[in-house]
Amino acid sequence: MKKMFLGVYSIFLVCLAIFSYAFVDPNLLFLRKLYTGLYATNRPFVTLAFIFLVLIFFGFYTLFLYWFRQKVFGNNEFKFILISTVVFLFLAYPAMVSYDIFNYVATAKALFFYHENPYIIMPIQFLHDPLLLFMQAANKTALYGPFWIFLTGIPYLSGFGNFAVTLFAFKLFNTIFYLASIALLYKMSKNIYYLSFFAFNPLVIFETLVSSHNDIVMMFFAILTIYFLKNKKLILSIILIILSILIKYSTVFLLPVILYAMFYQLRNKKLEWEKIFLWFSISMLVIFLLSQIREEIYPWYAIWFLIFLPFIRNKLIKYIYLSFSFGLLFRYVPFMLLGTYFGTTPLIKNFMTFIPVGVTILFLALKKFIWQKSSNRF
Amino acid sequence: MIRKVKLFTFLISILFLSALPSYASSTYVLPYPSTMPGSIFYKIHLVEETVLRYWYFGDFGQFTYNLKESDKYLVEAKTLFEYNQYLLGYEALKKSDVYFSKTLPYLLKAQKQGKDISANRDLLSQAALKHKEVLLTVKQEVPPVFNWTPEKSALTVLNLKAAIDASIAIRDKYL
Repeated sequence: MKKMFLGVYSIFLVCLAIFSYAFVDPNLLFLRKLYTGLYATNRPFVTLAFIFLVLIFFGFYTLFLYWFRQKVFGNNEFKFILISTVVFLFLAYPAMVSYDIFNYVATAKALFFYHENPYIIMPIQFLHDPLLLFMQAANKTALYGPFWIFLTGIPYLSGFGNFAVTLFAFKLFNTIFYLASIALLYKMSKNIYYLSFFAFNPLVIFETLVSSHNDIVMMFFAILTIYFLKNKKLILSIILIILSILIKYSTVFLLPVILYAMFYQLRNKKLEWEKIFLWFSISMLVIFLLSQIREEIYPWYAIWFLIFLPFIRNKLIKYIYLSFSFGLLFRYVPFMLLGTYFGTTPLIKNFMTFIPVGVTILFLALKKFIWQKSSNRF
Repeated sequence: MIRKVKLFTFLISILFLSALPSYASSTYVLPYPSTMPGSIFYKIHLVEETVLRYWYFGDFGQFTYNLKESDKYLVEAKTLFEYNQYLLGYEALKKSDVYFSKTLPYLLKAQKQGKDISANRDLLSQAALKHKEVLLTVKQEVPPVFNWTPEKSALTVLNLKAAIDASIAIRDKYL
């Protein structure tokens, strides 16, 4: 039964990887043979298929969590799910719903190929570069921190100038950081059930292993910072948090809690790490919510606080985080269906994001109220 | 007779029109005047200028940097000339020339490396045209020669007209 279920999960992953190619850009020359035009001509069908796949994904996630909790699943199943997810989704088309991976390649190319400063020179200035045919932010200078740009030299140079190889080298690079984060979180939590909350979360998997966002790299360094902080290696943790900030800046919001923890560590005072982790996650939730002011809340930003799920025991917070991860994947639906970022799209996106959270809070409040009422009766 | 009068009028008109000052015109936009010499912030700007030289690495980067600095010093020179600060204006103009003459070599270097420089070449032509426009205006407003006699120092003869003509010649080469 277990084997059959895991087999069905693997088939689902293959379907998701195949489905991702419905979004191939017609200008992406090296994938021209795989271009079907399905997304361009059948938006309602593609949107429905996407909703269906996301719902199935969350169904698997719920079952995984349940079986890990019931100890039906153990270490072997954990490894199988992890490996199959990584392998099958590595083959998925990375620019399914976000074009960020093209920006990563373009920025790396500006520095490592053209030897120009990507903070000064925009990709659009390299006229006739094939990347300009399909990338969406050609008129922007580098958005990420210098450490990220430095790191992208590894996947960029591994591509040896071949675009397809470079693209998948970037995917592999982020996948390695995902696996490294899982390994580190396991080392710190020692519990595969709690670890599954993060490791198999559909949003985390989708944004990291399919869309290949660099948030996982930033958060890996943040978690490594906390690991060394717990082990009282303060200088190392300072260096690591600086590196994390120099990837995407958001982890600067972890600094107050890190400094607080450092202060206690220096004085050899006992720290309640459960509370510290909770504050780390809340700090990242704050910056996540504030991103609405800057531009908009992007689904992959949720990785900033979801990575702390293995350490959070507060049920309310945990359910809020999970409902966020559920709603955020549906933020793609309005654009997918309507093909515009304007009109009602932003409003629907916000509904998609916050309604699951609202429903969860309401449900938990009602549950508590009913439970209290029934316990008062006896 | 009437024909001769018409021809004479035509020639006079041509001569009259050619005597009018002609201005080159470009859509290129120059920056606002930055801080001026004498201000404490000017020294900070000089440090910033040195640091930015390294930040704008790469051929396109250096082209952008040199053009940006050339623009800045041209505006500075114009402002200083307007306030009769001829020595400072003259020095700013020389700096603008130095930066401007460094722009094209970086573009040619980029071209050698296979980069398409057409857009930047157009930008440089537009910039040259705008600079020339400003220089022609300035040329009309400053004395051709100015003797600058600072306190307790030797006299400096500033051949402003020749300096502006040289600046225009540099821009003309890159049009």
